[in-house]
Amino acid sequence: MIACHKLCKDYGSFRALKNLSFEVARGEVVGFLGPNGAGKSTTLRILSGFLGPTSGDARINGHSIVDEPIVAKSMIGYMPEAAPLYTEMRVGEYLLYRAELKGVARASRKTAVSRVIADAGLDGMDGVLIGHLSKGYRQRVGLADALVASPPLLILDEPTAGLDPNQIREVRALISRLKEKHTILVSTHILSEVEAMCDKGVLIARGELIAQGTLAELRALRRPRAVRIRIRGDASAAKKALVDIQGAGETTIEDSADRSRLSVSFSDPDDADATTARIVAALSRVQIGVVEVVPSSSLEQVFADLTARAPTATAGDAKKRKGQR
Amino acid sequence: MRGLWPILKRELLGLFVTPIAWVIMAAFLFIEGLFFYFLIMSYSSQSDVIVGMGPAEAFFGQSEFFYFPLVLICPVLTMRLFAEERKSGTIEALLTAPVTPAAVVLGKYLATLCVYVVMWAPTVLYMFILSSHGEIDWSLVATGYAGTLLVGMAYLAIGTLASALTSSQLAAAMGATVFILAFFVMGYAARGFDEGSTRSMLEHVAVSSLMNDFSRGLVDSRRLVFWVSFAIIPLYATIRTVESWRWG
Ligand SMILES: Nc1ncnc2c1ncn2[C@@H]1O[C@H](COP(=O)(O)OP(=O)(O)OP(=O)(O)O)[C@@H](O)[C@H]1O
Ligand SMILES: [Mg+2]
Repeated sequence: MIACHKLCKDYGSFRALKNLSFEVARGEVVGFLGPNGAGKSTTLRILSGFLGPTSGDARINGHSIVDEPIVAKSMIGYMPEAAPLYTEMRVGEYLLYRAELKGVARASRKTAVSRVIADAGLDGMDGVLIGHLSKGYRQRVGLADALVASPPLLILDEPTAGLDPNQIREVRALISRLKEKHTILVSTHILSEVEAMCDKGVLIARGELIAQGTLAELRALRRPRAVRIRIRGDASAAKKALVDIQGAGETTIEDSADRSRLSVSFSDPDDADATTARIVAALSRVQIGVVEVVPSSSLEQVFADLTARAPTATAGDAKKRKGQR
Repeated sequence: MRGLWPILKRELLGLFVTPIAWVIMAAFLFIEGLFFYFLIMSYSSQSDVIVGMGPAEAFFGQSEFFYFPLVLICPVLTMRLFAEERKSGTIEALLTAPVTPAAVVLGKYLATLCVYVVMWAPTVLYMFILSSHGEIDWSLVATGYAGTLLVGMAYLAIGTLASALTSSQLAAAMGATVFILAFFVMGYAARGFDEGSTRSMLEHVAVSSLMNDFSRGLVDSRRLVFWVSFAIIPLYATIRTVESWRWG
């Protein structure tokens, strides 16, 4: 559905995207991840046809966004970051205008608009001036606009930014419902969001691709750096027992009130499994019951680790360098 | 041209809702009404003052004062077109719809041209007032209005371009005004030259020569070509400007 090939984008002398290539298959929901300034919006603007790439190309359903922008654009429902809207128009009026602009046939325009008003949770708002709407509701109007021409592909730039927790949950639920009929590329820097609604993730930082794959693949990219253990017994004793275990680093008591949760870091992540076994054995030797053992590798951590490192030292490069040695 | 019609409609709504169009029309009609009143007064008191010229011809062709309001009115009509959309970011939604830059530019431009035409429409009433008190040559009235339409097309095209060149509405209006004013001044400056190529060139671009001719029914093709290109060139430049944003 989307195929980016070596996208580069220069803003003056600043290179915001560097040879970015990735693909999104039909029917997938892909989370587009990256810290602030990574180039997410730049990429989505190129895909939606608002910006042109300095070099490289992107194909939407086989149509180049550079050479056939009109065809490519007609397959996309795009919601820009912060959903800018005409404040002097009414919600229904605006959506009707957008439907007409996107070439929805006159006969089906009204039904299309009432469908998206219901889908985006805007019931009863169609006579309200957009200038009078709260941020969350403007965001919904932006989403309704993206949906109004029933495009096969949705590109949403941070659809949940600035919403309250209830609205975030509603938007996520909506996106999960839209999965059935649309391919979706959604940008965010909130990882739990990707875990909640996406099949895949594409991670970028500083304009470069860092990692892509299914959520499990992304998690597996990073070995756990620590293990979290819930115990029955004295936490201080447990801490003492774990001082000299091979492969284990520091032990911390996670919650000073509860004192049943410990986190033990690994000094050598490649040896995580054996170290975990040694930790459990050491604890049972001093009569401390182990109730729960969870390797800690949330997507949050993967994200932090992968994007914090210099892009020249990604997992793939590290392997290459090892191989040369 | 896909998208032109919805863009035109939306732009008209924008012009009338943010009451720019109403304010402009009111101001314009006030000024033109005043001018018409003085014209009638001078005709009724000394009917031999403007020999060989009816009041309708005088209305369209006699004074730059009559066209001066357009120097300000046209840029104010067009200043929002692109500047506001770029400032508020709505341009991103507009240009990611499956429409060509040409449709966007023409849709917006034609909306201001509609307001311009509507703004002139009540002055037809003056012509009926004149005709009820004496002879009036309707073909001269028609060429007179054709002249005003040409002037509006050109001025609004310049204003459209100015609006695309900056995201500040004020700068857009000022830029277009200064540019149009420069052409106005050239018309005056022509009188300072002796007969010759400089003078005829300056007269060629002056709004007064166009309206002088057209109000007397002289439709010169050279004037037509000049004024139509005066509209087309800025519009073409605007389309290229909108396209260039993609590559900025
Ligand atoms: N129009 C522009 N001119 C110059 N530089 C720009 C422009 N737009 C973006 N940039 C720069 O390009 C880089 C990528 O910006 P982009 O908006 O794509 O980041 P992002 O990943 O969307 O960030 P965020 O999470 O904050 O939305 C940033 O360093 C930004 O400063
Ligand atoms: Mg962004």
